[in-house]
Formats: sequence, structure tokens, C-alpha cells
Amino acid sequence: MFSYDHKAGITASAKALRQLYSMKGFKPNMGIKILEDVCKIKEDFRLQTAVTRLEVYELFLDLIQDPAVSSELKHKYGSACGFAVDLIQVCQSERDPRNLMIWFKILRLLLADYDPSPEVTEELFKVFSAYFPISLRSSATPIGITADDLKEAVRSCFSAHHRVATQAFPFLLQKLDQGDAVTVAVKVDILKTIKACIEQYENPQAIIAPHIGKIWNSLKYEVRNGEVKETIDATLDVLRTIARKLDGTNVYKLDVSLLKSYVDLVSRDCQDDLANPTYTKQAGLLLMTVISANIRTYVLYNAGFVDTIRQNLRQPKSPSHTRDLLLLLNSLLKSRMELYEDRKQGHPDDEEGLRGEIHTHLDTLFHDVYLPVWTGKANDPVSDEKEVLKQTIQGLALLVSQKVAQSDGSSALLCSNSVCSEICSLLTSTITKGLTLSQNDHDNEDVSLEDEAVLALRTVVMNYIEGYSELANTVKAEIKKRDWARPSEYSLGALRDLLSRFTFVGCSEIPSSNATGNPQRFSPLQHVVTLTASLLEIFPLSPESESLEATSTKDSVSANAHVISSLHASVIWFRDACEAKYGKEALTSALSSDQNRLDTFGQLPEDWLLQIQGGNTTSDAALLQLQEDSPEVYCQFLKLGLFIVRKLYRSASASRQGPWDERALVQLSQMAALVVRSLNEEQQVRCNLAYEAFNLFRDAHEAVRQWFWNPSTGLLTLGILQGLRPGALVNLYEPSGQAERVMCETPSFGHSPSRESDIFAAIGAILANKYKGGPSTADPNSLVIKRTLEFWGNWLGDATAKNPPDATTFAAHNTIAMNIIAGAASRQDKHILSLIPSIHQAITSPSINGEILANSLGLIIKQNTLLTADNHSIVKRFYKQWIYTHLTKPLLEPAQPGGSENANLVARYRIAVLSVVSNCPFTVYQDDAPALIRLLVTALSSATIMEATEVSQFSWSQTVAALEVLVEILKHEPEALKGYLREVIGGVTKVFQACSSRGRRNREAEGERAAAQQEQKQEQQQQRQQHQQQQQQQQQQQAVCRRLVLEVLNGIPSQFEERLVRVHVLPTLRMLAMACGDPVRKVREVARTARGSWARIAQSG
Amino acid sequence: MERDLDNANPTILSVSQLPSRRRKGPSTRSGPDSKCDSIVFPKHSWPYGSYSSSDDGEDYGEEPMDAQDIYDLISTISDPEHPHTLGQLSVVRLPDIHLNPSPADLSDPDSLVTVLVELTPTINHCSLATVIGLAVRCRLEQTLPPNYRVDVRMKSGTHAQDDQVTKQLGDKERVAAALENDTLQRMVDKMLETCA
Repeated sequence: MFSYDHKAGITASAKALRQLYSMKGFKPNMGIKILEDVCKIKEDFRLQTAVTRLEVYELFLDLIQDPAVSSELKHKYGSACGFAVDLIQVCQSERDPRNLMIWFKILRLLLADYDPSPEVTEELFKVFSAYFPISLRSSATPIGITADDLKEAVRSCFSAHHRVATQAFPFLLQKLDQGDAVTVAVKVDILKTIKACIEQYENPQAIIAPHIGKIWNSLKYEVRNGEVKETIDATLDVLRTIARKLDGTNVYKLDVSLLKSYVDLVSRDCQDDLANPTYTKQAGLLLMTVISANIRTYVLYNAGFVDTIRQNLRQPKSPSHTRDLLLLLNSLLKSRMELYEDRKQGHPDDEEGLRGEIHTHLDTLFHDVYLPVWTGKANDPVSDEKEVLKQTIQGLALLVSQKVAQSDGSSALLCSNSVCSEICSLLTSTITKGLTLSQNDHDNEDVSLEDEAVLALRTVVMNYIEGYSELANTVKAEIKKRDWARPSEYSLGALRDLLSRFTFVGCSEIPSSNATGNPQRFSPLQHVVTLTASLLEIFPLSPESESLEATSTKDSVSANAHVISSLHASVIWFRDACEAKYGKEALTSALSSDQNRLDTFGQLPEDWLLQIQGGNTTSDAALLQLQEDSPEVYCQFLKLGLFIVRKLYRSASASRQGPWDERALVQLSQMAALVVRSLNEEQQVRCNLAYEAFNLFRDAHEAVRQWFWNPSTGLLTLGILQGLRPGALVNLYEPSGQAERVMCETPSFGHSPSRESDIFAAIGAILANKYKGGPSTADPNSLVIKRTLEFWGNWLGDATAKNPPDATTFAAHNTIAMNIIAGAASRQDKHILSLIPSIHQAITSPSINGEILANSLGLIIKQNTLLTADNHSIVKRFYKQWIYTHLTKPLLEPAQPGGSENANLVARYRIAVLSVVSNCPFTVYQDDAPALIRLLVTALSSATIMEATEVSQFSWSQTVAALEVLVEILKHEPEALKGYLREVIGGVTKVFQACSSRGRRNREAEGERAAAQQEQKQEQQQQRQQHQQQQQQQQQQQAVCRRLVLEVLNGIPSQFEERLVRVHVLPTLRMLAMACGDPVRKVREVARTARGSWARIAQSG
Repeated sequence: MERDLDNANPTILSVSQLPSRRRKGPSTRSGPDSKCDSIVFPKHSWPYGSYSSSDDGEDYGEEPMDAQDIYDLISTISDPEHPHTLGQLSVVRLPDIHLNPSPADLSDPDSLVTVLVELTPTINHCSLATVIGLAVRCRLEQTLPPNYRVDVRMKSGTHAQDDQVTKQLGDKERVAAALENDTLQRMVDKMLETCA
């Protein structure tokens, strides 16, 4: 079939032949016959379709890689490989990528497995080199082969066997030397091919060595004068590969002379360039690459390299020259570290070489190089010098990390303790600068040097373990020097920075034991212990903080709070470090302990931490005998955390005031939550944390058994409850137990919103949520929750109808009620369903309390940070849908305009619906969108009516809710709004006008009032503050309204057809132009975008 | 054919060097140790209840329009020649923007405010100075409220014909006529494309 031109048959016969080949009885000499005969097709081959040719190529490949056929072929043709020449003739002008992939494979096999004569080799080389550099035209119908696949295939031909070396290297170098004609992609391809050749060819002395000179001469300019990172990297890769190849393998080392002459060649060309600032970096890169390619070259040449750098550093030409030289020195140190880490994987000689390394030139680096550079520039550096200092700081860290091999195989630090300590104090002085210098002398703008020093210090103390105690002592001393009773804002900022850095340095990584000189005293928790002991030692910085009541109105910070914040941060950092090191799973499985830790804590001395830090304790040795690679570290860390929490809780609950201000308490509470929630259920139960949540770790003999309510204790209780798992709380839910007592209480406190109601509500939400009823618990019939919800149902009825309390008290208690319901609702507690009718009833109350309730219904569904899976809360997936269906859907109909005869009732229902819906995701109310839109339009117009009369504060929150829902609908289902466009645009425009004019009137009124109030007495000040706060809130709400209005308007032009929108363009644009001058920046920004999108409609019309 | 550039080699500022509002406020820390700042040093100390979610921590305080606002509006306009913004080329500079009277001092938000912007061309014979001025004018007219009057000038001494260019930019009719010209309009649109 192949000798005649019979196109139709070729695919079929090639297939048939492949079939034959795969049969058992196939004889090798048949294979030869096939090969020869198929080759007879000659010129006609290229006329066949690509698919046909593919079939034939596959046939060839099968035959050639078959061992039996190939040995027969070798026997018959010998080195002449005549069949290969025939093949070349048939296939040489192939262009189809799929076929090429196989053709290159065949060529590679021919070169590698057969033994072609030099002439045939040359022919073969000509065939594949003609394709180099190969590219692939992008095609509309991708075939699954990329240009990179093709490149890889050609590359494998080049590197197939060292018999093509004499042709390959000159060919590739000549392509490379074509200058600017070569694109980056081609250059990288060439360099990668050279690298592959060097890596694959055997017998480097004979094959590669003769070409090294030429390769070096062509390649050095790619780095020296190169600008493109890809080519520079690829070039350095080639140079590194040469050095590695000349060194030998892990098993067999080559003679050192070849390697030496190669490195000498490189050094000769580069050494002088180091003195020239323009080329320092590039020359250094070249030298570095070669020297650090393997341990042998490193040991031979690093001293010389360091000396050259040192000499140049003595007479630097410019700051950037110094920077480049330091950069080189640093990267040499980095490479040394890498070589040192990998020393065991290489040839035994390598490890021996590193052990015998002379390192006096490295020992003196600190005093000879880094320190002089530092002292010369550290005071008041300008921008260039800052870069130099940054390099110096990095260098110092690298220097401390250097290790040397001892004769017994262990490692020790290269630098002596005194040098390490000196480096440590140098870096410490950089980060304490903020506190030691005054505000005028300290540049607060650019902290990049301090940041660099922080990272360096972390590396230093992870290696030189004692460094952290030194740092701690300095930090403590510096902080104690100042008076923290009434610190300035600057001092507080400096304290925060220092403590935060101090924490980061010690806790964001786990120190390694092989770094220290004294393994007996090492503990992975050492730094954490030092940190916490130091922080507890300086706490409190000032004995008295402002009272909780006084701080509640402003976001003030105190020095004491910063200390507690840092303790909190240390837990977060170390926890993250453990997670990074051991993985999440290991942490949860490692937690097993069969003792109540709290009992053991009771027996520990007060200064336990200081004792561990000093290393002279016998009270609990468990913290000392840890390996850093065991997840047990985390377990011990939690133990430490619990100890600190207990200590601080006892301190905070003992005194009502003292150093504990609000921020400190909040931080302590959150820290407790973090520690507690990391424990597993078993440990939480064993430590009886549910009990401690109300006992606050006080000793049993203290007579205070009743949980005494005040905001401070509330915060502390909340912290523990927040972290507990439902299973650990079971005991609290005994009938008439602690949980029920707390949940069914309306404590007597002031107005709402207040700190008290917030805390109480949060505790209520958690208790109602983490309830795990069931037959095996103390409350088998879920009576506690039932009674709780009944209690609040009755209370709602009473408070809105029979004897309504005043609005502020009602609001405070109502917040608690809504949060408790929210807690139970996210668990989809079925008792909620019996509560809903009383809620519906209470909303209709004519008193203001009914309106407060209607407006707060959204709290039930609102995102609550306490009710999350992180905090082990029970959150059902579709609870929002469930609540919406039962609570809101029945109200939709009566809330419609005209839904009831009583207009007030309709308004009340509308407020309730909007409050819930605005907190729901769109998908929940998607089906009711049309009904909701009618509601929204009414809400918008009613807002403006109310504007004319005196407005209660709720009308604004109603408007905000309506606008939020409108934005959502516009985003997800604009079609539903199509019929209401006029009403919507008109409505929002009116709302906008109402918001702006009210704001203005308020401001004027405020001015008058301020003048009048000047005469008022001191005792009314608090009332005034409260009033101002309310006013501020209202102004903010109006600004939010305006922003939402503009967002709605902004969305309209893009969502609807032009013909629908065009009618509204002119008035809307006028309004938007005014809005661009809004006093609030955020509103102005949205106004501008909206104006832009409407202006486009105006232009196109 | 590629047109010869008036100034082939202007000085360019990087984005971080441009004046911005962020740097003026209380600094937020960005060091390696600042990862958990939002938890341990939060802006608002009270994380619970109604306080925590007041507008998601966003700030809705009143901040009347100032020179930085105007700068932010026009510094992002692209140069017609170079692939850089007017801010990067220092054609627009913060100290050369004046609001008179300053909106912060006004009791009535609707009273007239004049915005004076002085432009500094990169070279004193820049032929595109008028176009740049036109673009700045357009941008401000499109984004400022109606009670703002815009006055765009060449800074005196920075352009060979600064008087003439200033006069041209101040003439309402000539500005309107210029925008009737399709080519000019397209050019201005192109320059304003980079404005957010």
C-alpha cells in the first residue's frame, strides 16, 4: 500500500500494521521490513493528511522503542543507521504540532538509544535544530499542545546524548549572540536548552570542559549588562549548573582542577567590576552564583570573595555602592546557611569540608564591616542611607543565624555570645527609639527601619535564645522610666508600638533547640514565658485608670490596656505559629490531659512565671522538657494561657476599679475567649469552666457565691462563655440554675443603648444559643428555654400594654430580649414559634414601646459576632429563612398600604417587616419582592411626611432599612422595580432633600443651643453630652440615608433601558449636582459616580 | 506617523510621592507586627451590641470640600502625551489649588465658592497647555456642585504665553466652542478616562 500512491489506504494500513505489531507472534525482522517499506512512500508522505501522518509516526515510534526491533535494527545497520537517513527523508518537513511531538521523540530515541555515526548524528542534529527556536501560532481550535510542550520536546533532542555536544553548544551560542534580534522568550529558551544539555551530558571533563570558555564569554554579558529578570535568572541557572556538573555527583567527585579553573575564569572577569558602582550588583551576582553553587567552591573561594567585598567597603563610591556590596555579603551568608542545612545530603567530603572551614573572616564581619557602617549612618539617615542601614540590619540577623559544625557533629553558633549580645542591643536600641527619644527627635513617618529591625530581632532571638531576655530587660527598664499616670498621646503610641513589636519578636515563631548552646535549659515556650512574665511584672503601669462610666463615651486608651492587649496578641501570635508549624489537626488531637489544671494552678506560687523564666523552679517541670517539634508545645502553651487568664481574672474581679479600665477588660475578656475556645470539650468540663464563668476563678472559701452583676464582671463572664462549647455548659441549665436566672431577669439599669444592656444581651444570646437539651441532660424536657421564652413573651405583653415602663428602660430590656431570642433562633428552637404571636401582638401596642420593639426585630436575624462557628455556637444553616417565614411573612399582608383600617397599625407592621428584611440576604425574601416593593415605596414617602411633623428617631432607621432593601433588589432583581421607577426615583429624591435640609436645621439649632448651654451648670453636662451623642448619631444616620439614596440612583441607569430612564434625567442630574457638594466626603464620592452615569444617559439622548 | 513629543523626558513622581489624605490622618501601622492590630488595638474599644456595628466603622463625619479634594479630582487626569497622570507630572500641584472662601468657613452651604487652579506645564512652550486646561475645567465642572465657580489658569511665568492661555480658558464661549469640536472633545474624554 505504501509503495503505491493510494491515499485512502494509508491510514487503514498503518493502523493494521500497528495492530500486527502489537500481536504476540510479531517477529523483529518484520519490524525492519515495515520500516523500510513504509519509508518508500517518500515524497508522498507530506501530501497525506495530518491524521494519516500521525498514524504513521506512531507506528515508527512503536517500532523504534521496541527493544527487540531496535536490537535487530542495530544488528542490521550498525552505526551507519541507514534506516534513520530514510526516516529523515520521509519526515523532515513536518509542521503539524501533534506529529512533531512524536517526531521529536523518535529523534531523541535515535540519538540516545542507537549509536549513530558522526555523519548520521550531524544529519539528525540538522533535522531538529532547524526547528529551533520553535514557536506555536495561536489557533482558534486548540489541540492540547502548547508552545512550551514543543520547546520541551526540541530541548530533549538537544540534550539527548553528548554526541551532539560539538554541534549543539556552538549552534546555541551562535543563536544567543545574535544581539537585539533575539527576544526575551527565545533567549530564555536558548539558556534553558544549554542548561538541559549541561545537566544531561555525561563525562563533563571531555564533553563540557572544552566549551566552558565560550559559554562564559557569551553568557556573562547577559547578566552584566542585562536588564530583564527572566534572562538574568536563566543565565545564572546555567552558570550554577556548570559549577555543579564540574563538582561531580553525590557519589563521585571529579578532580578539583576543572572546577578551580572555571571559578578562576569567572573571578578574573568579575573581581574588578566590584569596585565599579554600576556593575557591582551584577558582577557580585555572577561571582556569588558560582561560588555558592556547591560546598567545595564555597569552601575554596568564600574567604577571597568576602575579602574583596571588605576592601571595597572601605572605600565605597556612593551609598548605593555600599548597599550593593552589603547585599552581596548578605546573600553569601544566606547561601552559606542553605549549604550548611543541606550538608548531610551531599557527598561525605562536603560535610568534612564544611567542618574544616576556616571562618575567622566571618567572625570579624560584625566589628569590621557591619558595625562601622552602622555607626557611620545610624544617626539621622537620609533615604539612600536608610537602604544601607536596612541591608546592615538584615546582615546582622543573617550573621547571628550562621552555624558551624562541631567535631562531634553538632552545630553551634558562629558568633560568640558577646557578639550576639552586642547585635541584639544594637537592634533593640532601634525599636525602643520611640520611647527613649522625644516626639521632636523621633521621625514617626517612616518606620521601615524599625520594621526591618523587628524582623531581624526575631531571627536573632530564635537563634540566640538569651537575646530575648536581654530585650525584655531593656524594654521593661525603658517603660518603667516613664510615668504612665497621665501619658501624652505620643507616649501611648510609642508604648503600643514597642509592646506590639516586643510581642511579635518573641511569639510569632517557635524557637529551635539546635540553635542554643545550652540544650538543657531550652524550652520552645521560653520566649512566651519571658514575655508574659515581663508584661505581668510591669502591669499595672498606673494604679488607677479612669472609671468604666467615664470612659464609656469615648474611645480612650490607657497604658494598662496596652499591656493587656499585648498579652492578648501574644496568644494570637503563638497560636498562629503553632498552627503553621504543626498544622490544625495536630493541635486539636494533641489536647489531652486528665487533670483539672485549675487545681494545680492553685498550688503554684504567685511568681511561678518568673521562676520558670529564671529556670530555677521545681514546681512544674513540664514546661521545660519539650521538644519544639511536638504539638505538646501547644498544649503546654494553653496551660500557660489559662494560668495567665486565671491570674488576671482574679485581679480584675477583686477590685472594682484600680488599673482595669474598659479597654483592658474587653481585651482580657477576648483573650480568655481565645484561650477557652482552643480547649476541647473534655478539658473545658474538667476545668469546670462553666462554673468559673460566674465564679471568675475566685477561691472557694471566698463567700461570694452569688454572681454579682456589674459591667466589669459581666465582661469577664462573657469572655469565658464566649469560648465554651455547648457540651461544657450543660450543668448551667439545671431548672432554676444559673443560666435560667440570668436569662429570666430584667436587671435594673439605666438607659439604652448602654454598655450594661449590651453585655447582658450578649451573655443572654450565648446562653440561649449554646443550650444542648436532651434526655441525658439535667433538663430533659427543654423546660429552661421554654420558660425563658415564655418569660420574655409575657414581659413583652406587659411592657407594651398593661404597665409600660419608660422608653429608655424598655429599650434596654428589649435589647436583651431580642438577643436571647436571636440566640435561640439561630438554633431554630421550636419554642420560638409559640413566642411569635406575642411579638406580633406587642408590635401593635399604641405606646412608643411597640414602635421600639418593631424597630428592633431585625436584631433577631442580624449578624452577631458572638454567634459564630468559631465560638462554638450552634448556627443552623437556614435559620434566617425559618425566622423570616414565621415572623415576617404573616405581617407582609397587613403591612401593605390599606392592609388595615388603622393607618398607625399599618405603619407599625411596615417598620417591623423592614427591620427584619433589611438584615436578611436577598435570597430569603426574593419571592416576596413585588409585595415588598410596594411597602418600600410607602416607607419612602412616609419618611418625607414625617419630616414635616416632628420625627421620632425611628423613622430614619426605617428609611435606612427601606433604602438598603431597595439597593439589594436593584442589584439582584431590577426587573421587579420596572413598574415603580417613577415612584422610586421620586421617593428617594424627596428623602434626600429631607435628609439634607434637616441636617442643616439641626446644625443651626445646635449653634443656638450651644450658646444657651454655656450658662448651664456642671451637673447638666452629662445630659448635654448624651444629647450631643444622640444628635451625632442622627446626623450619621442621615448621611447614611443620603449615601444609600445616591447608591440607588447610581444603580438605575445601568439596570434599565434608556427610554424608561430618560424622563427622569434632568431633575435627577440637578439633584445629583447639588449632592456633589455634600458635607460628608463619602456621600460626595457616590454622588459623583451617580452623576457620571446619569450624565452618560443625558449625552446619548 | 508618531508625533514628536513636546517634552520627551518629563520628571515623573511615583504614586506614593503624591499628596494624599491618608498620610495626614492618624497613622495606621503597617509593620510585620501589625497583623492583629484590628483585634488587640481596635479603633473602637467596644465590640458588643449596638456600638460595634454603627455603620461598619465607616466614618460619616462632616468634612467640607478642601484643596485636597479638588486635587484628587484632577490629579488623575491623564496627560495627552505621556502615559502618566497630571499629578505624577506635577502639572497639578496641591499648593496651587485655592478655594475662596473656604467651604469650611461658610455658614450657608449654598453660597458661592471660587476654585482657582493654577497649572504648571512641564515645559514653557507646551502646545497642549490649553487642552490640559480644558480637561481640568471639564472635570471640575462635571464633578463640582453648581455653586462652585471654576477658574483655571497657567501659573505665571511657567508658560511662554501664559496670559493668552489663561484668557482662553477663562472665556466661557471659547470653551463651549472648543467642546463642540469633535476631535477636541474626544481628546478630553480620553484624558478623563483615568478619573475614577
